[in-house]
Parts: sequence; C-alpha cells; structure tokens
Amino acid sequence: MTQLPELVGWRAVILHRQDESMGRMVRQLNRLGLSVQVQWEPLDLGRTPADIVFVDADQGWCGLLPWEEEPAPLPVVALLQSEAPGRVAWALGQGAGAILSKPVVASAIYPVMVLAVCVHLERIANAERRALQDERIRMRPLVHGAVMTIMSRHGLDEDTAYRRLRRAAMGRRITMEQAAGEWLAGIVPLPEAG
Amino acid sequence: MGKSVTIGILFSTSGPYAAIGRDCRDGADLALAELAADPSAPVRFDAIHADPQGDPRRYLDEARAMLGEAGCRQIVGTITSIARKEVIPLIEKHDGLLWYVCPYEGFEANESVIYTGACPNQHLIPLFDYLMPRQGKRAFLIGANYVWGWEMNRLARDLLLEAGGEVVGERCLPLEETDVERLIGEIRERRPDFILNNLIGPASYAFLRAYHALGERDRAFHPERRPVVSCDLTECELGAVGDGIAAGNLSAASYFDTLDLRENVAFKARVAAAFGAGRRVSAFFEASYTTVHMLAAAIAETGSDDPAAVKAAVHGRGFDTPHGPLRIDPRTNHAALPFHLGRITADGGFDIVASRPAMAADPYLTARMKGGRGNLRVVS
Repeated sequence: MTQLPELVGWRAVILHRQDESMGRMVRQLNRLGLSVQVQWEPLDLGRTPADIVFVDADQGWCGLLPWEEEPAPLPVVALLQSEAPGRVAWALGQGAGAILSKPVVASAIYPVMVLAVCVHLERIANAERRALQDERIRMRPLVHGAVMTIMSRHGLDEDTAYRRLRRAAMGRRITMEQAAGEWLAGIVPLPEAG
Repeated sequence: MGKSVTIGILFSTSGPYAAIGRDCRDGADLALAELAADPSAPVRFDAIHADPQGDPRRYLDEARAMLGEAGCRQIVGTITSIARKEVIPLIEKHDGLLWYVCPYEGFEANESVIYTGACPNQHLIPLFDYLMPRQGKRAFLIGANYVWGWEMNRLARDLLLEAGGEVVGERCLPLEETDVERLIGEIRERRPDFILNNLIGPASYAFLRAYHALGERDRAFHPERRPVVSCDLTECELGAVGDGIAAGNLSAASYFDTLDLRENVAFKARVAAAFGAGRRVSAFFEASYTTVHMLAAAIAETGSDDPAAVKAAVHGRGFDTPHGPLRIDPRTNHAALPFHLGRITADGGFDIVASRPAMAADPYLTARMKGGRGNLRVVS
C-alpha cells in the first residue's frame, strides 16, 4: 500500500484573502496538526518558510508564487471555484498537484493535501530519474567507444566485449557508462578472463 | 390580485461599475412596476433592493440577508463573475435560484442559476467571425484584472491563433486603474488591426478617452482604421466615457436600443413613459426587465416560488421579449440569444451593422472541440 505522508508539524501557507471560509480552513488544518499562515501577498519562503502552499487560483496572479516557470519546490494545492480553463491552466502552471474546490469542505482538505504531497514527491522522483537517464544517454557514446576498443584490443566479438564491460561495471557496482569512461581513461583494467 | 412573493434585486448601483448596475436595477424596476400596475397580474412581487457597491463581500452579506431573514428564494442580480461566484454557494445552500442577466465569459452552468446574458459563443465568437475577415487578424487584447478579462483574452487568443492571426499585445488593468498612457504607447507602437476591450469601469472609460485622443492626433488610430471592440460596452456606459468619445468603435450585444422590432418599439415607449424620452435602453436594462417578467410568468404558471418548479416552468415554455422570442435551454440553464454588432454613434447609440438570429448558448464551447455537438454558430 502507498506510504502516506506524515503531515503533523507541517507549516502551511494559504495565499487567499482572509474571510470566513479561510477561518474554517485554518481550523481544520490546525486539527490535522499543521500550523497555518494566511496572507494575500506574494509568497517569500525566506520570510515565511512553508512545507505546503494553498493558493487562490480564482484571483491569483503571476508573481504571487516566486517560482514562475520553475518547478514548484514544495507541494501546491490550488483553491478554485472558477471553471474557466485559463484559471485551471494558471493553477497547473504554478505547480498545483491538486485542486481543492471552493467553497472548501473541511473533509476534503486532508485527502487533497495527501494527493498534492504524493504528486509532488512523484514529480521529484521522476525528475531525478530523468536526470539520471539523460546523463546515461549523454554518455552512451562512451560505452560504444569502449566496446569497440575492447573488441579490437582483445579480438572479441561485440557481444562478448559488451558482456565483459558489463561484468566489470557490475563487479564494481557502477554504471556501464562510468565503467566505460574509467576504462577508456585507463583508470581501471578490464578483467581478462571471461 | 395574485399571491405575493418576496424576491431580491441585487445590483451594485454605486461603485466602479455603477452605470451597469443602475441599468440592471431600472430594468428590473420597470418590470416590477408593470406587474404592480396590472390588476390581472397573477403574481405580486415584494422586491428587496440592495446595493453591494461592487464589493464581493457585501454581495455575500446582502444575499445572505435576502435568503435568510427576508425569505427570498429568487434573486435577480450580480454583475461581475467574482460577485456571481461569491453568491452561488449561498444560493445552493439555501436552495434558491439566481437570475444572472449580464454577458460573461462562460465556463459555468450551475443548476441554481438561470443565465439570461450572453456567453462567448453568443458574443465573442460571432464578433471575431465578423471582424477578422474584414479588419484583420492582428489584435491587441486588454482586459480587467479578473476572470472576465483573463478568460475573454484567453479565448480571443485561441480564436486568433486558430485563424492564423496574432496577438500583438496583451495587458490587464484593475477596474479603478486610469493610468493608461503606457498601454496607449504600446498600441501606437504595435499598430494592431483592432483592440479587444475587456476592461471594466473607470479603466475602460479612461482607455476609451485616451484612445480617442490618440485618434485625434493620429488618424491611423481612428476607429474607422483600428476600432476598439467590446462585448459589454453598451448604451448605459457611453455617458460615463464622455459624449461622442467612443463613437465609431464596435460592440457586440444581444440587444441594442436601436433594434428595429415591433416588440422593441412598444417596449421603448414604456421605458420613455417611465424614465423620460431621452433614456436609451441597454442590453443590461432589457435583460433585467425580461428576467423579472420571466420569473413572474414562471411563478404564475407553477403557483409557487419553489426553485425546482420555477426552473421546470422556465424550461418548458418560451417568452416574448423586446428582442424577440426567448427560450432557456434545460441542458445549460442559459438563454438562446441573438447576436448584434453595433457601431457607436456620436449621440450615444448604436448603428447595428450585423446580426445573427438567436443561437443556443454553449457555455463550455463544446461545439469547438473535436467530438462536440457540431457547430452551433449560425452562418449569416
């Protein structure tokens, strides 16, 4: 089963005009163990450190959240009543991982927060995995180069040369790309025996 | 004499968009006066008026008072989408019905709201269909800094790009912002084929005045060459802009005072009797007037102000209005409305330059999507 985030002790910032419904939301977040700051001015994480942010997507403007085009550094929940596609697009553009429909129903807050946090963590994991894959794709020519060199130096066919490089990488618990780079650079020898 | 029903009339008759609010209120009041004066009228309304002064929170307080202690189940009102969306949850909670009479940006079809104003497939899309082949496809988009301006500009951008056009500039201003010189400078520099104006209130008036001044200095920015086009600028605001200042620019509306229909002539005679001969009638006035009469007819038919019964009655019949027959689509709760394009005249009216017969509202623009209900646009 999916591991649910532990939200007790988290700091929530709500970017919304102060009104009755925000009072209800603050009380519910307090019950869930979060501390809450409500403000209707641009978010400054230096001044107001936060673990999760709720933002009014009906009225929100560009610049309200400081990350603009960058990926959101923390989970974002959009508060939305409007159905206008432009507003939904704005919320997604700010990195919202979940939308909490206004007027806010207290019982929706916890599940929506969990969704936003999980989506945020998944995005981070995906970004890291993608960065790793990008690096491996970038280094692919090294593997090819190493295999070609092993073939000619040891008189092996391509499959055997490839297997030998892979075994070397596995033995040292590094990637094929790293092993290829190190071998070509002459840092480590290739195991001779097959 | 029929039974008495309490209804709320909720329009901002002061504040930044007071001119629209006053026309909405006057239209409702004329209908209320006609019903009160008619001894055979099956319904007598006790109307509660409130002026939230353009403040969303006051809309909420006034609507709460109407639905609560006053016992209204029907409210005619709200003007901006901010105010409408503020009030809707309360209407739903109290099982009431809101009658919304203004043109708006669409993407809503609430079961507790009857929409008698136009949405984009009834104003913006036919406006662009008319304008782009004649005027060009390079537009400058300006709008009020809330969902009306944002969403109308977004739709306009889609329409322009789909047609191979271009957005040469876009700017949103708060309702009260009257410093428009930078905006005028950008328009002068980028020379759009036309300017789509979704500004509201003082910002719109200041812009139209400054654009007029630019046109006086440089004929390249005269409305004949580069018009300002709007989907909500009507007779009721031309006075606030200034006499003759907006002349030559274009507006889309479901009704104009100059509409040459027998029903409209009779209607205008009644308006003149109540408000004086010089009073020009706007789409806001007419929609509000029509809406109060529709509400009365529906309550008369069902014998109750129960929202579900009233809605069923409204869906099941047509209504005669100053702009012609009107029906409310049971699927969307929106009125089918005609499209008229008017050119502003020097004396504060509109010359109608293009029209299309009533078309069904398509608030979510499903007809534009692949797999939609087919093209709802009526070809002229």
